[in-house]
Amino acid sequence: MAEKEPTAGAGKMRIDTEAVKEPVVASKLRKEFDGLVAVDDLDMRIGRGLLYGLIGPNGSGKTTAIKMFVGLLRPTSGQAHLLGEKVPIRRNVHRIGYMPQELAIYPDLTVHENLELFAALYSMKDSDFQESEREILKVIDLGERRDSLVSQLSGGMKHRTSLACALIHGPELVFLDEPTVGVDPELRVGFWRYFQDLKAAGRTVILTTHYMDEAVRCDVVGMMRGGKLIAEGAPKDLMARAGTADLESAFIEYSRRAVS
Amino acid sequence: MNVKRVLAIARKNLRGLKHDKRTVGFLVMMPLLMITIFGYAFGGDIKNLDVYIVNFDQAPANQSVAVAIIDDVATRDTVRQVRVYGPDVADASAIDASLSRVRDAKAWALIVFEDNFTEEVGAALGAMRNGTFAMPGSFKVYIDGTNPNVVSAIMTDLQISIQKVLASPVYGIVPPIIATPELVYGEGAEFIDFFAPGVMGLAAMMVTFMLSIISFVHERSQSTLERLLSSPATEGEIVAGYALAFGFVGLIQSIVILLTAILLFDIQIQGNVVLALSIILLFGIGNQGLGFVLSSVAKNEFQAIQFMPIILFPSILLSGVFWPIEAVPDLLRPVSYFLPLTYAVNGLRSVMIRGWGIGDVWLQLIVLAAFAAVMLLLSAYGLKKRR
Repeated sequence: MAEKEPTAGAGKMRIDTEAVKEPVVASKLRKEFDGLVAVDDLDMRIGRGLLYGLIGPNGSGKTTAIKMFVGLLRPTSGQAHLLGEKVPIRRNVHRIGYMPQELAIYPDLTVHENLELFAALYSMKDSDFQESEREILKVIDLGERRDSLVSQLSGGMKHRTSLACALIHGPELVFLDEPTVGVDPELRVGFWRYFQDLKAAGRTVILTTHYMDEAVRCDVVGMMRGGKLIAEGAPKDLMARAGTADLESAFIEYSRRAVS
Repeated sequence: MNVKRVLAIARKNLRGLKHDKRTVGFLVMMPLLMITIFGYAFGGDIKNLDVYIVNFDQAPANQSVAVAIIDDVATRDTVRQVRVYGPDVADASAIDASLSRVRDAKAWALIVFEDNFTEEVGAALGAMRNGTFAMPGSFKVYIDGTNPNVVSAIMTDLQISIQKVLASPVYGIVPPIIATPELVYGEGAEFIDFFAPGVMGLAAMMVTFMLSIISFVHERSQSTLERLLSSPATEGEIVAGYALAFGFVGLIQSIVILLTAILLFDIQIQGNVVLALSIILLFGIGNQGLGFVLSSVAKNEFQAIQFMPIILFPSILLSGVFWPIEAVPDLLRPVSYFLPLTYAVNGLRSVMIRGWGIGDVWLQLIVLAAFAAVMLLLSAYGLKKRR
């Protein structure tokens, strides 16, 4: 009990110095909905510049955890710090990016107008926005559809626009909730290449997926089940420790161990 | 509160409308249609009511009071005399035929003058001059009372004719008492002048409420709200951006109504147009806030639309848009004073017809500003509670 609530001054100092290495720190983070536990005293530390994959079946608490990180849900107990600031963060909010699981873009606006809106909300300068927009449209290959209404785009294009909206302001810490769900295989490869680019540029990327096979591309994988982190590590190590040839089998193995 | 973010959200809402040509058409056409239809439907008096007349009056035509009344009624267009049976053809079958037209709702009324009508009138006049008493001359009006407005239109028209006939040189009888109106306000005002401010308030209310509730239901269902809330935009900035955008739309609509009313119906505006539009803007912002607040209880567009009649009907009926608040039963009167539309319409009329200035409509302005402020605060609070 005593260690759960450190004195404010000391706690803040400790978190701030660690934030240099670890932009995401969760301690005993918990969320209950009407008595149902969605996230169960989650402890988690994610280092800077990592591509971190949160994997687990539907309902394992991945999305709930991310929503607490980005300030959309209030933790029932415990706490989390992003970039050294306790969530819900205010001071550093412009330094993070978030792509919700749903498309979450305006179908009655063009691709450009969607991007421009989020750039304005993040107080980007016009010249910065223009440069960033040009760059990101190239990456998502939507340069020619810049002035098309989102409602007239294909599903994959909408998805790419949604990703672009989360990244337009060049955030150093990015949460992507199921960025590859419903994305065709060819595009998925492109997405992963882009995540690697972000990482190479020093950004920290945290994404969720329930396609366990693609999570091998992450630096670190956290396996969630029943709101708890049941295993965490580099994909190769996780498979080696479980004695399996793929992440999916590894997940099943760790689930079995967690229950027993 | 960051003004740039407020503007970005307002622009987003207006841009969404810009791409939806049909909705833009609706937003412009709806108030235009409303004022035009209401203007023509309510603006005119009741006209050309079909009436049958059976006249048994035996007096010679040039002396008959009945004929004089019938001729005078014919000079106006309230009543259309479908058929007049003169004394030469009047009989029981004429009455039966005419009455069945009224019973079949093919005509509104049947007027019957008895054979000694002129005689009776003469006797009553003589008695009056001698200071004695005789029964007044009378005629019967069989009338379909389904619509009280029609009854009153026909009876008033007949009264006018009776007075005119009596005032003619033949009888020279002028009523000894006359009430003369001296208009304090509304010199030359017609019903449309009374009406236009009401329609402006009503249109602003319908549209701002509808736009806001539907947009915000979308914002929630397509999860864009989550994205906004995870960005640096605060609840207050989101709410202010919405108010700015849809308050502006309400304002544009009022201008459409005002222009239509001026060009088509030649309405008069005594007061300051900017003051009138400010009233609309405050009222529009309040209503968009109401839509915003109610959107949190609506899961989809269908549920959102269900709020429309609940919100609209009390306002339409109890806020003095069509008839004065004094016509509202005592029991419901407190509701009238609780409805913001009451203050909007009252304020608009005072400015547009009475020519009042800001010092005279301060009460309405304060009430509407309070309404807007409360709704915006509730909207922002509703967003905060979700976190």
